[in-house]
Amino acid sequence: MSMPPFSGKVSRRQVLKIGGTAVAAAAGATILPRWAGKSLQGIPLAKAIGPTSPAPTIYKHLIGSDGWISIPMGTVKNDLGAVLAPDPIAPGGRTTYVFGFRNVTALDDNDPSLPFAPGSTTNRVTPSTASNPKVLAQKGHVQHSAPLLFFDEGDAIQITLSNLGLATRPDLTDPHTIHWHGFRNALPLFDGVPEMSISVPPGSDFPYYYHPTDPGTYMYHCHNEDVEHVQMGMDGIVFVRPAQNKTGNGAGAPVARYNGGGAGAPLGYAYNDGVALSDARSTAYDREFAIFLNEMWAQSHYDDAHIQVSDWSDFHADFYLMNGRSYPDTIAPNGGGTNLTTGALIAPTGRPELESQPLSSLIQCNAGDRVLLRFVNLGYTQPAMKLTGIEMHVVGKDATPLRGLGAGGVRNGADTGYHTDTIYLGAGEAYDALFTAPPKTGSGYDTYLLFSNAFGTLNMPGGTGLGGQMTEVRVYAAGTLPPQTAPNT
Amino acid sequence: MRNLRRTLPLLAATVLSVSSLGSGLTAVSAAGPGAPSSGILCTTDSANGTNPQFSLTASADYISMPDGNTIWTWSYGATGGSFQFPGPVLCVNQGDTVTVVLHNSLPEATSIMFPGVDAVQADGAPAQPVFNGSGTLTSLVPAAAAGGSATYSFVAANPGTYLYESGTDSGKQVQMGLYGALVVRPAGHPDWAYANHGQPFGNFSREFVMLLSEIDPNLHSAVELGQPYDVTALHPRYWLINGRAFPDTIAPNDAAWLPNQPYSSLFHVTEQDTSLPASDPNGPNQAPALIRYLDAGSRNHPFHPHGQNGRVLARDAAPLYDAAGNDLSYETFSFSIGSGQTWDQTYQYQNQEHFSAADNPIPVTVPQLQNLTFKDGATYYSGSPYIGSQGKLPVGTTSYNECGEYYMVMHSHALYEAANYDTGFGGMLTLERIDPITPATGTTCTP
Repeated sequence: MSMPPFSGKVSRRQVLKIGGTAVAAAAGATILPRWAGKSLQGIPLAKAIGPTSPAPTIYKHLIGSDGWISIPMGTVKNDLGAVLAPDPIAPGGRTTYVFGFRNVTALDDNDPSLPFAPGSTTNRVTPSTASNPKVLAQKGHVQHSAPLLFFDEGDAIQITLSNLGLATRPDLTDPHTIHWHGFRNALPLFDGVPEMSISVPPGSDFPYYYHPTDPGTYMYHCHNEDVEHVQMGMDGIVFVRPAQNKTGNGAGAPVARYNGGGAGAPLGYAYNDGVALSDARSTAYDREFAIFLNEMWAQSHYDDAHIQVSDWSDFHADFYLMNGRSYPDTIAPNGGGTNLTTGALIAPTGRPELESQPLSSLIQCNAGDRVLLRFVNLGYTQPAMKLTGIEMHVVGKDATPLRGLGAGGVRNGADTGYHTDTIYLGAGEAYDALFTAPPKTGSGYDTYLLFSNAFGTLNMPGGTGLGGQMTEVRVYAAGTLPPQTAPNT
Repeated sequence: MRNLRRTLPLLAATVLSVSSLGSGLTAVSAAGPGAPSSGILCTTDSANGTNPQFSLTASADYISMPDGNTIWTWSYGATGGSFQFPGPVLCVNQGDTVTVVLHNSLPEATSIMFPGVDAVQADGAPAQPVFNGSGTLTSLVPAAAAGGSATYSFVAANPGTYLYESGTDSGKQVQMGLYGALVVRPAGHPDWAYANHGQPFGNFSREFVMLLSEIDPNLHSAVELGQPYDVTALHPRYWLINGRAFPDTIAPNDAAWLPNQPYSSLFHVTEQDTSLPASDPNGPNQAPALIRYLDAGSRNHPFHPHGQNGRVLARDAAPLYDAAGNDLSYETFSFSIGSGQTWDQTYQYQNQEHFSAADNPIPVTVPQLQNLTFKDGATYYSGSPYIGSQGKLPVGTTSYNECGEYYMVMHSHALYEAANYDTGFGGMLTLERIDPITPATGTTCTP
């Protein structure tokens, strides 16, 4: 049977024939009768949003610039024997040139000379970047991975990006952008692809507006000359907490502790799961940790610092990072936030070389805690992350709960979550996995390792000892650690 | 840092070429007037009912890369027709008995295998692997000798998206370009990817094929020049969708300047019309678009569509529902297509916030556009944040925007693959063009 032509305006390419059989082009003017059979609704239709979108009530201020980070071990040389890493021009204690972001919101908010943002009593805004010298002073002092951002479903957010230019490469006038990777129904103006709308040149500011309606784990990165700027370090995690945190649900899940829930409530939920706490499909958790994975090609970082050009088709990974650090730095403490006097980052205690890599990957919990791991891979390779000794329950991928479509076309249908000890992430993918911390009694803690199963990558090139994408899960006896109040603590 | 690239504005022109092939054959290559500039171009055999027959010739010619390089390529094309890369998109219906005759114009034996299709016959016998007298595997399926032919046939029992490719010296021949897509439509429901699963895509204008692959120019050059090569040292430098690298990917189907690479991969849809009731899934703008992804390369490719989640209906022609009929589809904003895999996904762009200048302006103040950068002085942006609107762009900025449509990108997120050799913003990347329901004042959206 030959296909009926469909659209009424199209006659399809009709071609091939076999020995001597002539084939005529279809004459196509027939409208396909509508199929009246069973149909399932696809992605849920637009959620009810008021007649107008809410004005921002949450303001964040990011800068784009350059800086230097520390990768602890290993030497990489090029074919001629020149040392690419550690970079010979790196400042003391650092090894690697990066581009990156910084979150300078606190420098605005704590400057009483600045006006409050419209609708906010906590966020202040700069009329322009040039008006806040502490912000300007952060040129050349970015961080990697990019600042961890998180919001609630339904928040109205303005993220202002200020491009401060590059301290080490004043000859480059690269614009920057923010691409919220995975944001549904994005407007091109706020999607951050410079060829599709705008990019932000040095000396300019741009307000990105977001009104997220789909909870889950996302990522963001600069999309200007993306193969370069992402590799150079302008990438990190953003996640969205569900409305169920604030409302609980009728099935027996209480309001989350993040939003005023009592001692028996979970800290939060990964998704609007709609089920009781005791249900196997519950996404409740007591602690959450964001795990950002990428890798660095030493040649390209050296090239950008030394006014050279890289051939991106020669890409290969030398260093594998977790939250911008390489093991054992991954388990060093978090940085101390921003010094409101100087504007600089406060290095982790005793680790001045990690000033520009503030995010710890150390996972600490009490026996019986439900722990959410938010995995994001923005490297160009495909790590398989293994947690030894504790089974993980994968409940979400790409900011979508692992539930089939149910009645009404929403994702409350068949449970498609699964249990595993290994999560394999392609480039640009995000996974949400829960685990329950195993029993532990007595003092001290039990250690479980979470690592990329590409064992060779856990050694630095030419170096000795362990490194790469590895961290420790430390399980204490119940009641030892106080309740978590912020991710990755 | 580098701006070397060829940027093409969208062109809707298509080229009609009718060639007489002798022996009573007439090939109509490219569609007639009104042919789609993007979307699937099916090759069908409407003359033989439920026994479609296709005649393919494996031959060699050059293809073009956006940086000006030419690549010696082997591919399947219509016998008696012109060379094309990749091979024709063969579209048949579930239950058809399909016959494919392969004529081999290459200097060595070659074949076609249909992974995922059961009970393929080759020259009347089961298409078993071929071993020589000493038991060494010589071809994954029976081959046609140089200058010879072979006939493959099968019953298209299960709907879905399938790859076809060379089963002979595949490490070289598949890299050289011997692959294509086979689409099996469900019996009675040709506007569905799978009967009773997902949704109808409603209209072929919302059906797309994205066949991914990669090119190592050194291997192609070695084959062209008769020099030795080492397939284990494969190092791709170009990454393709439907045989083209960006920006050629968005050129129309049958673009005259890409005579050997007929397939566009521009994802061109219209925004969802939310004025239609949700109960009208077949409405003209209500049904989702279908993308049939195939990875014909030897690498896995992580693919990222901007601004939309894909709903994964099926992988490897296996629809995602269980025996009880429960929907097991899932959504992704990035997914890794394994070498040789096929994935079917639907997409539906909604103007979720209904932003408009009159009724719901974006609640932030956008700076003067002249204080921002339009990369290389050219943009797909309309000058307005709102779909169906156009605004003023800074003087000297070239606009590719036609009618207030939105553009976003979809691309490999192994970002070195979204490049042509050393130059970014190319390669395995294409555009999503989302047309407004109502074009900007005084404009028309080319279908």
